Amino acid sequence: MPSTFRTLEREEAFRNPSDKKFGTPALQEVVKPHLESFDSLTKYGSDDAAPGLIDLAIKDIGHKTVFDGVGEDGLGNKITYWIENVTISKPAVAARNTTSLNQKIYPSECRERLITYRGKLQASINWRVNDGPIQTESKEMGYLPLMVKSNKCHLHGLYSKGLVQHHEESEEMGGYFIVNGIEKIIRLLIVPRRNHVVAIIRNSFTNRGPTYSQYGCAIRCTRPDQTSMTNTVHYLTDGNAMIRFAWRKQEYMIPAIMILKALVDTSDKEIFDALCQGDVKNTFLTDRVELLLRSFKVYNLYTRESCLRYLGDKFRVVMDVAEDLTDVEVGEELLRRAVLVHLKNGRDKFNLLVFMIRKLYSLVSGECCEDNPDSPQHQEVLLGGHLYGMILKEKLFDWLTSLKQQIRTDLRLNSSRVDFMNSKLVLVCIRRDVNYVFAKALCIDKYFTGVMTKAPSDIGSKLSYFLATGNLVSNTGLDLQQATGYTIVAEKLNFYRYISHFRCIHRGAFFAELKTTTVRKLLPEAWGFLCPVHTPDGSPCGLLNHLAHKCKVINEPLDISMMPRLLASLGVSQTVLHTINRPDYVCVQLDGKIVGWCSAKAALKVAQSLRFWKVTGQHNVPADLEIGYVPTSHGGQYPGLYLFSTPARMMRPVKYLANGKTDMIGSFEQVYMDIACMDDEVIPGVSTHQEFTPTNILSVIANMTPFSDFNQSPRNMYQCQMGKQTMGTPSTALNHRTDNKMYRLQSGQTPVVRPDIHNHYGFDGFPNGTNAIVAVISYTGYDMEDAMILNKSVHERGFGYGTVYKAEIIDLNELKVTGEPVMHHFGLAGGIDKKVREKLDEDGLPFIGVQLKAGDPLCAYVDETTGRTIIKKYKGPEDGLVDEVRLIGDDSGSSELQKVHIKLRITRSPIIGDKFSSRHGQKGVCSQKWPAVDMPFTESGMQPDIIINPHAFPSRMTIGMFVESLAGKSGALHGIAQDSTPFKFNEQHTAADHFGKQLLAAGYNYHGNEAMYSGITGEELKMDIYIGVVYYQRLRHMVSDKYQVRTTGPVHNLTMQPVKGRKRAGGIRFGEMERDSLLAHGVSFLLQDRLMNCSDYSQAHVCRLCGSLVSPISTKVASSLSSRRNVECRVCNTSKGIDVVAIPYVFRYLTTELMSMGIKLTLGVKP
Amino acid sequence: MNAGAYGAGQPRQPVQTMAYICADCGNENTIKPREPIRCQDCGHRIMYKKRTKRMVQFEAR
Repeated sequence: MPSTFRTLEREEAFRNPSDKKFGTPALQEVVKPHLESFDSLTKYGSDDAAPGLIDLAIKDIGHKTVFDGVGEDGLGNKITYWIENVTISKPAVAARNTTSLNQKIYPSECRERLITYRGKLQASINWRVNDGPIQTESKEMGYLPLMVKSNKCHLHGLYSKGLVQHHEESEEMGGYFIVNGIEKIIRLLIVPRRNHVVAIIRNSFTNRGPTYSQYGCAIRCTRPDQTSMTNTVHYLTDGNAMIRFAWRKQEYMIPAIMILKALVDTSDKEIFDALCQGDVKNTFLTDRVELLLRSFKVYNLYTRESCLRYLGDKFRVVMDVAEDLTDVEVGEELLRRAVLVHLKNGRDKFNLLVFMIRKLYSLVSGECCEDNPDSPQHQEVLLGGHLYGMILKEKLFDWLTSLKQQIRTDLRLNSSRVDFMNSKLVLVCIRRDVNYVFAKALCIDKYFTGVMTKAPSDIGSKLSYFLATGNLVSNTGLDLQQATGYTIVAEKLNFYRYISHFRCIHRGAFFAELKTTTVRKLLPEAWGFLCPVHTPDGSPCGLLNHLAHKCKVINEPLDISMMPRLLASLGVSQTVLHTINRPDYVCVQLDGKIVGWCSAKAALKVAQSLRFWKVTGQHNVPADLEIGYVPTSHGGQYPGLYLFSTPARMMRPVKYLANGKTDMIGSFEQVYMDIACMDDEVIPGVSTHQEFTPTNILSVIANMTPFSDFNQSPRNMYQCQMGKQTMGTPSTALNHRTDNKMYRLQSGQTPVVRPDIHNHYGFDGFPNGTNAIVAVISYTGYDMEDAMILNKSVHERGFGYGTVYKAEIIDLNELKVTGEPVMHHFGLAGGIDKKVREKLDEDGLPFIGVQLKAGDPLCAYVDETTGRTIIKKYKGPEDGLVDEVRLIGDDSGSSELQKVHIKLRITRSPIIGDKFSSRHGQKGVCSQKWPAVDMPFTESGMQPDIIINPHAFPSRMTIGMFVESLAGKSGALHGIAQDSTPFKFNEQHTAADHFGKQLLAAGYNYHGNEAMYSGITGEELKMDIYIGVVYYQRLRHMVSDKYQVRTTGPVHNLTMQPVKGRKRAGGIRFGEMERDSLLAHGVSFLLQDRLMNCSDYSQAHVCRLCGSLVSPISTKVASSLSSRRNVECRVCNTSKGIDVVAIPYVFRYLTTELMSMGIKLTLGVKP
Repeated sequence: MNAGAYGAGQPRQPVQTMAYICADCGNENTIKPREPIRCQDCGHRIMYKKRTKRMVQFEAR
């Protein structure tokens, strides 16, 4: 039988990494949402010539126009400019660096040199004067941080071998940025589903103004470049409807009818027909439509043009458009850029707006219910790349605006420089012998390039700032609710944690402050998309979720050109006429565009046909199309057929029962589908789909918990958290990493008991714990209260042996004064202590392998101004061993050594007080390292590695741990890896029986019990002991980082009380509650000790006569022979009443503080 | 001679060259103080310090 642990295959894969494929391709899938969304910045779609999101964005930004105000027509000369093209180059060394053989900069170099992985951002800007010839110039916009393994990264397309050659993991996934050597990820955020109208009841809507009701219909419209704009239609209590949108963080309200009339040339009759859709018997509706139309009469706007002119007049300043546009054009611009921006056509916008108003009225009348914005049905994902593109777009836009401002400033301050009609121009005309217009252009050419140099154009640094801090600096707000917290550090604490960073999805910082818990609830709609187990407990619970491991986020734009044709062929009406519709007709929408109407029955048929075609691939219906059929109901969700093809949707695979093929389903359609989970849940004629496996709903990490279906569910949540704080294997390229702190488990093993997915995701490359023989027994009393006893011998054999890597970075550039030459150099000048030379080499850097204690020299540098050698000391309380010393040069390779990175290795053998945990949320602290001779032993002489207390189980009900113990034991006996995938066993085929039989076959007790003997007396213990193999994790919480003790130590200067803080050797506060506790115990005399003697005990002179603490002063020493000082009261002028009393030092401070306020404190001193 | 100048005024030290390992090509580079950090072979900009030749011994406890 071949090894079920695949040891040899793994060894081979590490020895000879492949250059054609990855060892675990599934790992690459994990980061896909990040990578693909970044790639789409430059290439959006499978087509090679497809424009990227940036190209779409600069098209959307459009042209900017400025007039110089010179001339007869009032506006003067016109200059129009726009960004034609944006290019991002791959990371490379500075152009002046000619010495480097390889001009490319790879990610590993950025990590090691603690710099940003970035490529040059260039924009070609075009401009023309008075619509003359177009001028072009390429403008450098700084360096843009790039995502590792994206299509702008040198690692793109490399496989294991190539990756290892460039100092990466063999299974490097990418998907993050490197900013100042730190790996940063843009967090996935949940945002409202795009291009879909949601009905909302929100009390805060009433605050918008008088007569505003709590009803509204909102739609988050997304432009092709993924920027979005939310439009809300509000219901006013008088029956009217208003459209609201935010423009540059300012909210605007416009009557819906005005927009309707401005969008298309229409009549009141058409609007009435469109809003009623043949449902003229519905008096609720007709009343309100009538009111809508009648109330609009006050504006006296009857044509489209007059509406546009009205809007244009009002929004001219707000929109900041070219001055030569007419009001009508400004109005059109407003509709294009602010109203239902996902649609181009005015007729489409008209239809959708009508739909929104209809939905709003049916919400008000109670025909349909509100949509839950917290449900994944109405949510999608804000992908990192898309957000990055949005910011980039806004920064480009801001730059263009800043050019405009620059020109205007020039015009205002020094308009002669912008004057085209000067003699210089004529000279140019004559000399160049060109026509006048061109010369004019030439002249402004110089001027405009000047403007471009004046306006700051470093966009790259702005994006670096965004990634480094996660702060969004934006004028528009980007239609997002938060300004901070967009990025996270991809900590490589262990692989579990690292991988979950890419799968985590946050609800938004705004919801974290919300008092209500509704947003945190686990909803059935999240089934299969968000993991129900993998969320932290505590404040981020339910807000920080993780994607289920099979959940994909769609990023490719789908080809839906055939959809209108297909829908028409299936009997969906066209959008040309509203009067033909019947009251029971439902709307068919494709990405928020109304395609037509049909009866509810027909819509169901359409949905079914489309689904069949989609799964079978007929008629080119894309597999990632979402077909959301909402049936007609009484007061349920607003009915219709909603098709979605847009990116950023969550989708997951399920089995289509009709033909057994995979169907990708989205979170919108899932709600109305009949998906069975297990085989026995399939109802013939009803179920259309079935889960491939029930574990598909779990995240990658939640899947790693063995037999999680046997555990009480909170324990699985705890394991998801603890798995992420385990000391494991952070990386296989440790020597190329420069993380500030890294934890490493030296003796990691592959678990005997693991689910299949463990191999699928290649977790064997990053072991996270050790298999331990665990006995469940109450043995010495040292295993009470979640403590565990470690066998001393197993500790000596290296169980759980860990290392902490700490980085010390010394940058002499920080000492440098700008403008002055380098004055500090690493090295040792003469006359250095021998002790220092023991640790430091001639170059001022520590020898590799040398042991540093606290206070030992870490490195030395010479200050040229003084000629002195400055020795930097190692501060850490623990001994560290110098592991690596990295000399970091600069980008051009021309400057001398100014920056070093010293990696220290701190050994962390497990000691009493360190924390361990099994994979079932059963954490415990090592309480004793019990000598092996005193450990209990079985009949075969086996001793447990770990002893845990039986009391850890009854209340926690982690039966999975018992099963793991059984499975591990039999797996170890037979030498096989046991599959621990949950939901594999049932009442007929129990896990206990399955593994029990294996144990029997190996000659062990069926139940996993064994007779044991006391290690101390040798007597047989009265009962059988449950003993087996459990995979144990060592958690990173170690006493060495936490202990805080103090007898005497530093005190606060002002109060003379002990300082606080572990770092400063401070004390732990003995606070009010502790005081209460002592009083309650009747040991109030202890307070004297705690709060006085051990704190700020002091003796002070006090004058009994006047009761003052401040008036006694020491007078002159009487004679030079005696050193006795005489204390005298300044007020009473006598030393008669002077006494010495013991007071807390702060009391003295209080006295002086009060004195400064003119308050006298008198002490009554009695013997 | 150098020993004689020990502590007298500004000590002139002989130029110490140190050997480092290039992080990219792995070649040994001798770099004098105040020379730029650059591999002579490949022009790479990171150097690793070599492990000391001195005996490193700790108490095994």
